[in-house]
Amino acid sequence: MPELPQAVRGFGVTFLTMFKKVVTEQYPEQKVPPKPRFHGRHQLNRWADGLEKCVGCELCAWACPADAIFVEGADNSDQERFSPGERYGRVYQINYLRCIFCGLCIEACPTRALTMTNEYELADDSRAKLIYEKKDLLAPLLPGMVAPPHEMVPGTTERDYYANTVKGASPEQVTTSPAEAEEVAS
Amino acid sequence: MTVTNNAPSGPSPDVAGAGTDVEVAVDLITVVVDGVEMRVPKGTLAIRAAEQLGIEVPRFCDHPLLDPVAACRACLIEVEGMPKPQPACAQVLSDGMEVRTQYSSEVARVAQEGVMEFLLLNHPLDCPVCDKGGECPLQNQAMSVGRPESRFTGAKREFEKPINVSAQVLLDRERCVSCARCTRFAEQIAGDPMIELLERGAKQQVGTAADEPFDSYFSGNTVQICPVGALTSASYRFRSRPFDLVSVPTACEHCASGCSLRTDYRRGVVTRRLAWDDPDVNEEWNCDKGRFAFAYLNQGRIESPMIREHGSLRVASWPEAIDAAARGLATARGSVGVLVGGRSTVEDAYAYSRFARTALATDHIDFRARQGSAEEAAFLSSKVAGAPVSAAYDDLESAPAVLLVSLEPEDESPIVFLRLRKAARAGTQVLSVGATATRSLGKMSGRLVSARPGDEANALRSLDDETRALLGQPGAVILVGERIAGSVGAASAVLELARETGAALAWVPRRSGERGALDAGALAGLLPGGRPLTDEQARRDVAAAWGVEAADLPSEPGLIGADLLEAARDGRLSALVVGGVELADFADPGLAVAAVENADFVVSLENHHSAVTELADVVLPVAVVTEKSGTFVNWEGRPRPFGQVFRDALTMSDARVLAMVAEAMGSSLPADVASIRKEMGALGPWTGARTPAPDTAPGASADGVVIASWRQLLDSGLMQEGEPHLAATARPTVAIVSASMAAALGETVTISGPAGSVTLPVVTGDVLDRVVWVPTNSPGCHIHADLGAVPGTPVQLSAGGAA
Amino acid sequence: MGLEEALPSGVLLTTVEKFAGYARKGSLWPATFGLACCAIEMMAAGGPRFDIARYGMEVFRASPRQADLMIVAGRVSQKMAPVLRQIYDQMPNPKWVIAMGVCASSGGMFNNYAIVQGVDHVVPVDIYLPGCPPRPEMLFDAILKLHDKIQDTKLGANRRAEIVELEQVALTAPTTLEMKGLMR
Repeated sequence: MPELPQAVRGFGVTFLTMFKKVVTEQYPEQKVPPKPRFHGRHQLNRWADGLEKCVGCELCAWACPADAIFVEGADNSDQERFSPGERYGRVYQINYLRCIFCGLCIEACPTRALTMTNEYELADDSRAKLIYEKKDLLAPLLPGMVAPPHEMVPGTTERDYYANTVKGASPEQVTTSPAEAEEVAS
Repeated sequence: MTVTNNAPSGPSPDVAGAGTDVEVAVDLITVVVDGVEMRVPKGTLAIRAAEQLGIEVPRFCDHPLLDPVAACRACLIEVEGMPKPQPACAQVLSDGMEVRTQYSSEVARVAQEGVMEFLLLNHPLDCPVCDKGGECPLQNQAMSVGRPESRFTGAKREFEKPINVSAQVLLDRERCVSCARCTRFAEQIAGDPMIELLERGAKQQVGTAADEPFDSYFSGNTVQICPVGALTSASYRFRSRPFDLVSVPTACEHCASGCSLRTDYRRGVVTRRLAWDDPDVNEEWNCDKGRFAFAYLNQGRIESPMIREHGSLRVASWPEAIDAAARGLATARGSVGVLVGGRSTVEDAYAYSRFARTALATDHIDFRARQGSAEEAAFLSSKVAGAPVSAAYDDLESAPAVLLVSLEPEDESPIVFLRLRKAARAGTQVLSVGATATRSLGKMSGRLVSARPGDEANALRSLDDETRALLGQPGAVILVGERIAGSVGAASAVLELARETGAALAWVPRRSGERGALDAGALAGLLPGGRPLTDEQARRDVAAAWGVEAADLPSEPGLIGADLLEAARDGRLSALVVGGVELADFADPGLAVAAVENADFVVSLENHHSAVTELADVVLPVAVVTEKSGTFVNWEGRPRPFGQVFRDALTMSDARVLAMVAEAMGSSLPADVASIRKEMGALGPWTGARTPAPDTAPGASADGVVIASWRQLLDSGLMQEGEPHLAATARPTVAIVSASMAAALGETVTISGPAGSVTLPVVTGDVLDRVVWVPTNSPGCHIHADLGAVPGTPVQLSAGGAA
Repeated sequence: MGLEEALPSGVLLTTVEKFAGYARKGSLWPATFGLACCAIEMMAAGGPRFDIARYGMEVFRASPRQADLMIVAGRVSQKMAPVLRQIYDQMPNPKWVIAMGVCASSGGMFNNYAIVQGVDHVVPVDIYLPGCPPRPEMLFDAILKLHDKIQDTKLGANRRAEIVELEQVALTAPTTLEMKGLMR
C-alpha cells in the first residue's frame, strides 16, 4: 500500500480521535472527586462527645513554612471547657493566601486535631475572607456530639480521651450543654 | 560562698579574672579538662572551666549567680582518682586535677544519660501544652544527652495542677526536677524565702506555707530561671511560643534602676518581658513591675490628635492640631509653663528643654511631677545634673558602708535593693535614715538611723561618731532618694555630710526619666549638661548648639514646682505645655488641677487619656516606649539606650511632635533620636562653675503624730493597669505603727489629714512612736488626694472605723 | 465606554446590565500572564482534560489589547511588578484580575524582599485563588465565581453609586498596621 501524504495521515489521527472516549471533565456539573490523600482545606476535629481536639499548642504554626497559621491558647475553666485537659486553642486562624497545602501542620499535630479535607473550592474576592477562623475550620457536629463548652464525660480524664476510650456524649453532657439548653428553651 | 567567675568567657582561660580590678593577685592553677591543659583561678568550678573550653555540660540546678547545690545531678563528669562521677557544678578544681566530660569519658556519658532518664521518670512530657516548650533546657538536654527511650513503664507521679504559689506565679509540680533554683533565688538573692522544697524522696516538691503566698517583688525571676516548665506566670500562660516571638533588647521604663530587658512581641502585641543579662546593672534579674506591667501599652490609648471646640474635644487631623497648638502657644510666647513627665526619654526631655527655651522663650520648666522643693532643685543643679558617675552598682557592692537617705530601695529602686543585699551578704554595712525599719532593711542586715519625717536634716547633722567613721572609709556611698525634697534642709545636710566624710553621693530618683530630664536641662535655671542658665559662657555654648542668639535665650531662672503651678492658677502664666504628667502625682493635686484649668491654653502630649487631656485645649498623641527609640539615664548616670520594638508604629515621639509644633511656630528642633543624640553629645557636660549648692537650715518635724510614707513598688500607678495578677501580689494597704500605738488603736485606724481621712487596718511594725506609715498611692490610700498630706504632715489618729 | 454607560437608572438599565453581564462573562479572553509553577496548571486548564474552551475562554491572548482578564499565575517579583502594571494598563475596560495561587495573592511562602507581597499592591484583584499551585478545577472555581461577579456588575448611574459606596467602605476600613493577627 502506497504511503499516504503526511498531511492526510494527520487528518486520520483527528478522525480516529472522534471515536475515542471524551476525556474532558465536565466541571462544575460533574465534579471528579480528588484522590483521598489530596491536600484540601483544613479541618479541626472533635472528640466523640463534641469537645475539640485542639489544645492550642501551636506546633502547627511552628511547622508551617509559610507562617500561615496563628494560634493562641487559653485555659479551660470549670465554667467553660472546650477541650479535655488544661489548654485549648482560643484563636485559630489559617491564612489561605499563605498556606501552600504542604501538610506539615498535619504531621506536627500531637492530638490529630488538624487534618485536611478534600475540599478545594476556596476562591474568594477579598484577603480578609480567606483568613479562616476557628469557627470556619471546626468539623461539623456529628450525631452524638454536643457543642462545647461543656464538661468532659463524667468519670473520665483527658487521658481517656487521648486513649480514645470516650465513645460519645453522655446524657449528662447533653442536658448540661448551654447550647442544647438554649435549644430546649426556644 | 564559692567564687563564681562572671568574667566574659573568652577563648583564653588565662585572661579570666584579669581586667577586673581584683585587689588580691589571682592564684592560677593548672587543670586538664578533656585532655586540654588550662590555667584557671583557684576555686573555679569544673563546669565553668569546661565552659571556657566551649564544652557544654548538661545542667539544670547550676546558675552562675546562685550558690552551687548539685541537686539535679545532670552534670556528672568523671574526675581522675575519684571512684564515682562527680557533679561538675559543685566540683571545685584543684591544682593538677584531671576531669573528663561526656565527650571523652564513657563513664560520664552513661551517668548523664542515666540521670536524664531518671529525671524524666516522673516528668509528664506534656510539652505541647507546656509554656516552656521550645525554650526548655530539659527538652533540649533530653535530646542532646538523654537516652532515646525510657525503660520506665510504671504510673507517673501526678499532682493537682497548677497551683498558685502567688497570684502571678503558677506551679505545675509534676514537671519539677527539684533543681532548687527558685528556692535558692528566693533565699539568696531576693531574701524572700517563702518557697521551699517540701517532703522527701519521690514526693519532693516546691511549695509555700499554707497561709503565706510567694508575694515577692522578684517572683517573676523564678519563672525565668526555672529550667523546666514547672513555674509559669499567669500573664503569659498559654499565650505564645518562643519561635513565634520576636525579641528586642530594651530598657525598663518603670524606675531609675535601668534594667536591661528583653521584650518579646508577636504580631503587633507585646506578649512578655524578661530580664536581660547585664552584669553591670541588673545582672540577670528584674522586678515584677518591670516584667509584668506592660498591659498599659495597648490599653486606653489616644488614637488621634484632638482639639477642644465648644467645650468638648473633637478628633482633628495632625496638621490642624499642630497648627492650633502653634497658634495658641505663639500668642502666649514668653508666658508659658512646661511640665515634663518623669518617664520621658532623655531625647524627649531635651526636646522639651530646647522647645521651652527657643520656641516658647520661657524658662518655666520642671520635670518633677511629684513633691519638689527649691532646695532639691538647687541640690540637683549643683551636684547631680550632667555630673559624671559618682557611684555605680559595682561601687555599692564593694562599699564598706552605704547610707540611705529618704530611700526605701525595695519599693523605689528594686535593683539597687538587690545589689545592696548582695553587698550586705558580703559584709557591707547598710544604714537607713528614716522612721521605719522595714523588712527590706532587715533583709540587708541594715541598721536604722532614727529620724522622724521632716527631721532628717537634724538626724544627719547629729550622726554619731561611729556612723561617721563608717562613712569615712574609702568607698562608702550615700544614696539619696527623691523624697528628700519633702524634708527641709535634708539635701543641704547630705551635701555637708558627704563633704565631711568624703563618701560618694548619688541621687536615686524613682522614675526612669528624672535623671535624664535633669541632664537634658528640663528644669528652670538649668541648661543641658548641667549648665547654669545664668552663666554667660554656658548660654553662649547652648545658643551656638541651638543655632540661636544667646540674647534670645531666657536669662532669668524661671518658676519651678508649686510656684509654677500657682502662677498658672493665678493667671500669671497664660499657657501650659504638659507632657506625660499625672496631676494626682503632685503633692497638691488640687493646685495642679486648678493650674491646668485656669491656664488659657493647654497643650497636652499624652499617650493615654488623663486628667490633663480632659482639660487640655489641644491633645497630641505620642508614642509609648515600644513605639520609639530613646535613652533612659539610670540613677548612676549610665545611659540605657533602647531601640524601637514596633518599627512600623504610626505614632510619633514627643520630640518629633514638638519639632512639628516648633516648625509651625517658625522655630526649629531636631526631630529624630539620632540628631538629638548628636547634638547632646556635641554639647557635652558642663565643666565650668556650677550653680551654688543649697544651704538650708534644718527643718524640724511637726509635733504630734506625723505621716511617713512612700510609693510602694506595686500600687495604684497607671502603668500597672490591666494586669490583675500582678496587682494581686501587691502588699496590702495598711497603716504601720509602733507596738505601743497599735495597742492603743486596735484593729483599724482612721487617719485624718487636712483634706480628709482614710481608714486602714493597723499593723505593728518597727516604726518610731508618734509616726504612722501609710503607702503614698495604693488602693484605698492616696495620701495626696485623700488626706491632703505629704510625708511629715501631722495627722489625727482615731481607733476603729469601717475599714 | 459605550451607550450603556449613558442610560438612566431604572428598569431599562437593569435589563441592559443583565444582558451586558451575560455577554461579558461568556467571552472572557485571558491575557497570558504565567509567571511560575501556577502557569503550568493554567496551561493544563486549557488542555483537553479540563478544557477552558467550555467557558469560551480558550483564546489566551498574547496582546493585552485583546484581553479583558489577567490571570496572574505565579510569584510576582519586584522587577516584574511594573511590567505587570503596564500590561494591565494596556488592557481595555472592562477588565478583571484573578490572583492565581498564594504567591500572586499574598506572596505566599516567599515572605521576602524579592517578591511583591500580593499582586493587589500593583493592580486591583477581583478574585483571590488559594493553592500552591491550585489545580485546574480550583482555577475554574475562581473563574466561575468571577463570572457571577461579572454577571452582577452594575452599569452607568448604578455603577457610579456603587463606586461611591465602595470608596466609603475602603476609607473607614482599618489600615493593615492597625490589624492584629494574621492580617498584619
